[in-house]
Amino acid sequence: MRRLLAGLAVGAFLVAASACGSSGGGGASDKNSSSGGTTTVKLGVIPIVDVAPVYLGQKKGFYGKHGLKLSMTLAQGGAAIVPGVVSGQFQFGFSNVTSLMIAQSNGVPVKAVVNGVASTGVTGKDFGAITVKKGSSITTAKDLEGKKVAVNTLKNINETAVRESVRKAGGDPSKVKFVELAFDQMPAALDSGQIDAAMVVEPALATVKSQGATEIASSLVDVAKDLTVAMYFTSNQYAQQHPDVVKEFQEATAESLAYADAHPDEVRQIVTTYTTIPAAVLAKVTLPKWPAEPNRTSIETLEKLGEQDGLFKTAPDLDKLLP
Amino acid sequence: MSRKQPRAGGSAGRAVNAALGAAGLAAFLALGEVVPRVGIVKARYFPPTSRIARALGAEITDGTFWTDLGDTLTGWALGLVIAVGAGIVVGVVVSVVPYLREATASTIEFLRPIPSVALIPLAVLLYGTEMRSVLLLVVYASFWQVLVQVMYGVRDVDPVAEETARSYGLGTWARVRHVLWPTALPYVMTGVRLAAAVALILTVTAELVIGAPGLGARIAVAQTSQAVPEMYALIVVTGLLGLLINVGARSVERHALAWHQSVRGEVAV
Repeated sequence: MRRLLAGLAVGAFLVAASACGSSGGGGASDKNSSSGGTTTVKLGVIPIVDVAPVYLGQKKGFYGKHGLKLSMTLAQGGAAIVPGVVSGQFQFGFSNVTSLMIAQSNGVPVKAVVNGVASTGVTGKDFGAITVKKGSSITTAKDLEGKKVAVNTLKNINETAVRESVRKAGGDPSKVKFVELAFDQMPAALDSGQIDAAMVVEPALATVKSQGATEIASSLVDVAKDLTVAMYFTSNQYAQQHPDVVKEFQEATAESLAYADAHPDEVRQIVTTYTTIPAAVLAKVTLPKWPAEPNRTSIETLEKLGEQDGLFKTAPDLDKLLP
Repeated sequence: MSRKQPRAGGSAGRAVNAALGAAGLAAFLALGEVVPRVGIVKARYFPPTSRIARALGAEITDGTFWTDLGDTLTGWALGLVIAVGAGIVVGVVVSVVPYLREATASTIEFLRPIPSVALIPLAVLLYGTEMRSVLLLVVYASFWQVLVQVMYGVRDVDPVAEETARSYGLGTWARVRHVLWPTALPYVMTGVRLAAAVALILTVTAELVIGAPGLGARIAVAQTSQAVPEMYALIVVTGLLGLLINVGARSVERHALAWHQSVRGEVAV
């Protein structure tokens, strides 16, 4: 037995040594694995409806036609995606526009390359909304003064949007108490009265609505008509070194976005392959819009509002950030 | 660190213990069924046991579930093996070289309390969402469990036995093998058992937060998808995994220490 243990210990040490050895050199080599004219690019996405077009485009062969093969990684929000792209673990990532502007104003070298997702632009029929519990005394965004409102990330796009809704309703956004809560926890928190209102997006929005909650404002629509909410981005370094890959990615994604916009049923189908959204919820989900081009005017509005609310240290340079 | 188990009446006692354990679990599951059904908690956020069981049934017929389970187990096992190997080697070397112990004590005390999850940003920058990110966290957390136990174990060596071995002319390697290792082994086994549990916790946490493939990432997807019963079903799976790992570690410990008085409880000491 003792000999066996000694053997195990030595074996473990060797495994440790070899594992350390392989991890040392592996980092740079797998950046671009090409095989037969096809470049595999790693794309960091979030498991939500918004990124359905890239899954659909991959399935439909739009990326293959442009010599690309996507390798999707489901990350938990921007916490892993932005650093992953900047450090070269992913070639492309998906992030909301405010996060990209904050990153750029902080000197993080990111470059948006192609549109990601946009609001539907229709009040009351958007994929994100401020919701209150059934029977709540809050009926307009102005009533949110002094109330607890949940947003998924403080000092980011959804806080900007809620502030704008309050402002447009004639209220003072500085009187709103914002709390940070993950989208998936909002339905329960709203139901139990821990928060007075929640800025939710799909599929949590469908869940909240199924509980009888009411929408009081479509905040993303309040920011700007047809607001560009999120975009696909890369690092400045990758964009400079591989302009051809970036160009192919742009074209294939634009095609995928247009296809997804025109085929909502296929979108709902593909979503089930990378999320576990229950069928009953998925049927009620309001799909976003997927225009092929970002709406620069709406992004400028978002930037101005963000600046007004103190999100940026220095104003982001949209000419450098946007494609 | 010796573990004395009350052994009430051999196999009959064990059967009673097993029956009590099963009864406790059954009561817990029944409570999980009743509490949401009578409306003490909302069934939408805390589904009854039967609903979770149904979701679990759907999970285990899904091929991707097994891939994810495999990823989690691979991360756990690889991380544990690296941590145990490194912990034993570093622990023994640091302990037997007097100056090394003095030189490293403060560094170890400084590094040990750093929570492994605090290294998540570093792991993401280095390895993205690959398994190596998970390994970094798992190895960091489990390594200290083993290292500290090994160092305690080595310190516990009887000086008389050590001097006797020396006077009989045993070389360094022979003394490590025949005096130091048997003394340290019970401590090492405790370290391994603790490390096995910590490694599982960190594997699932890393997958959950970073998104590296595995059960943790699957839980996160279920959570963002508003698939509540599926989420609980997966949490139950991680619980069962923890249970199995603990039972396994205890049985390895019992076999490895079969000669030791803590296990051979019947010998009068």
